[in-house]
Amino acid sequence: MTTFLQLMLNGLGKGAVFALLALGFVVIFKATEVVNFAHGSLVLFGGYLVLVTKDTVGWAAAAVIGIVSAGLLALAVERLLLARSRHADPFSLALLTIGVDVIITEEVVRRLGVSLPFIGDAWDAKPLQFAGVTLFRTHLVALGVAAVLITAFFLAFRYTTWGIALRAQAENPEAAALVGIRRSRVTASAWLIAGLLAGVAVLFIATQDFSGAGLSRGTHSIALAAFPAAIIGGLDSTAGAIVGGLAVGLVDALSTEYISFAFAKSAVFLVMLVVLVVRPAGLFGTRETTRV
Amino acid sequence: MRRLLFKAAAVALVLPLAACSTKGGAETNSTGVTDKEITLGVMADLSGPFKSLSTAITQGNELWAKDVNAAGGVCGRQIKLETVDHGYKADTAKTLYPQIEPKVLGFVQLTGSPVMAALGKNIEADKVTTTPASWSSELLNNPYAMIVGTTYDIEMIDGLSYLQEKGMLADGDSVGHIYVDGEYGANGLRGSKYYAEQHKLQLHDVKITSTDTDLTNVVTGLKGQGVKVILLTTTPKQTGSAAAANKALGLNVPILSNNPAFDPALLKSPAASALDKLYIVASTVPFSADIPKAKEIAQKYAAAGYKEPPNAGTPYGYAVGEVWGTVLKKACENKDLTRDGIHKAMQQTTSADTGDLVAALNFGTPGAPATRQVYVAQPDASAPGGTKYVQPLFEAEAAKAYKAPHEGQ
Amino acid sequence: MSKLLWIPVAVVLLALPLYLDASWLKAGQYMMIGAVGAIGLTLLSGQAGQLSLAHGFFLLVGATSYSVLSGTDDDLVGLGLNPLLALIGAVAISALAGVAFAPVAGRVRGIYLGVASLALVFLGLYLGQAAGSLTGGTSTGRAPATFELFGFSFSNEGTLIVAGVPLRGTERLWYLFLILLALSYWLAKGAVGTRIGRSWRAVRDNEAAATAMGVDVRRTKAGVFAVSSAYAGLAGVMIVLWFDILKPDENEFGTYGINTSIAFLAMAIIGGLGSIPGAVAGAVVVYGLPQLLTLYSTDLGWFTGSVTPVLVSSFVYGAAIVLVVLFEPGGLAAIGRRIKELRS
Repeated sequence: MTTFLQLMLNGLGKGAVFALLALGFVVIFKATEVVNFAHGSLVLFGGYLVLVTKDTVGWAAAAVIGIVSAGLLALAVERLLLARSRHADPFSLALLTIGVDVIITEEVVRRLGVSLPFIGDAWDAKPLQFAGVTLFRTHLVALGVAAVLITAFFLAFRYTTWGIALRAQAENPEAAALVGIRRSRVTASAWLIAGLLAGVAVLFIATQDFSGAGLSRGTHSIALAAFPAAIIGGLDSTAGAIVGGLAVGLVDALSTEYISFAFAKSAVFLVMLVVLVVRPAGLFGTRETTRV
Repeated sequence: MRRLLFKAAAVALVLPLAACSTKGGAETNSTGVTDKEITLGVMADLSGPFKSLSTAITQGNELWAKDVNAAGGVCGRQIKLETVDHGYKADTAKTLYPQIEPKVLGFVQLTGSPVMAALGKNIEADKVTTTPASWSSELLNNPYAMIVGTTYDIEMIDGLSYLQEKGMLADGDSVGHIYVDGEYGANGLRGSKYYAEQHKLQLHDVKITSTDTDLTNVVTGLKGQGVKVILLTTTPKQTGSAAAANKALGLNVPILSNNPAFDPALLKSPAASALDKLYIVASTVPFSADIPKAKEIAQKYAAAGYKEPPNAGTPYGYAVGEVWGTVLKKACENKDLTRDGIHKAMQQTTSADTGDLVAALNFGTPGAPATRQVYVAQPDASAPGGTKYVQPLFEAEAAKAYKAPHEGQ
Repeated sequence: MSKLLWIPVAVVLLALPLYLDASWLKAGQYMMIGAVGAIGLTLLSGQAGQLSLAHGFFLLVGATSYSVLSGTDDDLVGLGLNPLLALIGAVAISALAGVAFAPVAGRVRGIYLGVASLALVFLGLYLGQAAGSLTGGTSTGRAPATFELFGFSFSNEGTLIVAGVPLRGTERLWYLFLILLALSYWLAKGAVGTRIGRSWRAVRDNEAAATAMGVDVRRTKAGVFAVSSAYAGLAGVMIVLWFDILKPDENEFGTYGINTSIAFLAMAIIGGLGSIPGAVAGAVVVYGLPQLLTLYSTDLGWFTGSVTPVLVSSFVYGAAIVLVVLFEPGGLAAIGRRIKELRS
């Protein structure tokens, strides 16, 4: 029972971070219908800047620099590359992000070399014991931060003009343009937000508690594991990102113990496959229908 | 346009008939040896995941070659090293091999288990004696593999004996073994299985892949099983995660690991405070070992001005050189510096001395590890190279009786 | 390409083993493996519009099938079939695996399909490790049977001398791969030009319209998945022959992993989605570059420190994808066509 409880806690803690990553996919997809394969490289880039600045400016300032620069990089990718190919369809743009991802990831990994940098200084490896179970501080903070950010996002989405513009564009881009919503602004802001979320997520990922490894190629793989989270929930559903994230965390933790560790990594993707076959647009996604 | 095409076609047709001076000279058996030089190959990972270890081994190889050449060389010839970097990619290694193979007498280093797997057949076909920087006894089915040091299975057996002797483990206990899928992990597991059978241990083995780094869930499960010891045949990052989880979850049992599972960089990670329960079993000495030869190498390392932080790879790389020196001398005495001659000389080498960098090695029994003696060390941030001894060279009774997978075949 | 131009190309390709060293031949063979796989993917993703990141998985299916069908190891499952039969069988099994996945493509579209197909790569990673009696396990792997054609062995066995050059295993394998590539190319070209190709493109452009025109969308998708996986399976057989070993991956970035799937997609995109000569050109860029740079780097002593040939190649193909999408969605194929138009 203790083991089960501990696994649930581990799973939920990780799930919160997956939800943050998944939300990044969802924001961009909602605004532009592009699946951003470069999300993992944004995560790495943010982490790298925390690493190189934290010795001079201190961890807290470095964390802010990392978050902001991940956001700015996302913005730059959108403005300098995606926005320039206005005639390309979302499918081609998704392919373009694969190219961007390869370049940024390889360069950051090269710069990292053989070091094992951990960047969650404020909360890493400071577990709390409570009634026979261990609460990892990284997980607790991640859950809190995810709850705050996701709530804020929900509110902004419902009640601000920005949120309305984004929803309008997601609903019907042509009509949105007609009523004077500037497509480029909405799109750029979506990328900026996704980048900021990636920058936040990496502060939890490159920790002993979460990934057991500092910033490395493995950090990028973890961002890849958030793909199923976004897909399970539905790529255009904010609520889905949360459910998907927590589901991925729990499936991973529980199948490690009750099936096998080797299977756990596949399990997440198999769950995604099953969900897709049953509900092709994810659990909470809106389904496109074709009529003949 | 058309005429141009015909011309090109004609030229292309004639080309093969004019063949071919550069290719096809019969391969001589004295590959890699001239009157003045002996060329040895190094297939290293200088840019991939094992860059840190492989670079240090290469530096050890170089230091040895420098020393030998300063002392007049071997068999009246200077030693030359031919180094290539495959970045731990089997496909890259596969194309590099045919390029480097015709130039060398043997390989003093071949890093990477996927690389060794991809090249095993070539090495056997080309009869090129090779020292893999991988210590799996499975590799000993290749008669040309010259493993310097003991193998992972024996490290585990010796290590478990040590823990039991020190009272950290008793017959019938539950033990968890986390191992990386692949030749490395499977070989470590072979050892722990053997020992568990002998001592009625309940072994809970967990297979992971080399890129998994978060072992919190695995250790949570092992805690549920009530394990008394955790065994690790893993990468350094995974060792850090297992040790951190061992402490965080309040399990706090001793951890026994194979040699490659530790990297001094862990001492600077958040897991550093959780490493006090870690015991590392190895057959080569740590960088800062308190023996004359190791100290000498540490000095030479400093003098050579290498930029990388040192690790146990350097004394190992030097030791491999020393073993090769012994083998080459024997081949020289036999007046047979061919590949066949090297292989024969290797089998005649029954006690290669490396000044205690590695236990004395015996390559006389095909398929058997060259030694069964190990050291036990613990992490120590104050020592250069990051570890200190807790147990000098020894060989457990259980390890003596153990039969390696290809022994006596 | 003009028909006449094929003659010198063929002659040069046939003559190369007489001149090039084994390492260069190995590099060339690797490009041919890439080309065969990329042709398969460009048919699926380019001609029929079905995005797939599962190519690495189908490579593994082909590689394993060949090793099992032809294998003679005592302690592993092996049927000991004639290698040619084993090759054909492996291609057939891969095609069936593709058909089995096709229904997913009936439910899931576009980008969703691409991500869904990623699941197969992870399934392959797990099965490769779990089914050790088939794959030999990640620890040791298993050696594939040497390829033989009517008693002629594609190994160092026996002596065969042409124009003073002894043809050993590497040279012989070059000719085998050349035949397989030529066959793959010719069949793909054929399929694209016929009704089959038209039904693929109809499904890509608009499924509803395709149905209205009498194309059975479900069958067409099953068909194109079968064809594409068959190509991947053949590439898988070639890869075990090239490595002399089948070794299932230890992690998702191995020979049959995500990186491989992405590399094949990159070949198809760079070459121009849907173009068969483009796929071959893409393979030369994506698989050829790292190999050639590595060989040159040891000759010339380039690339010191952390800038390695593999890294440089990754930059080049990453940038190539971006440039193609931005400036020339038709890829290298379109550039080729334009050059031809300029000249005529």
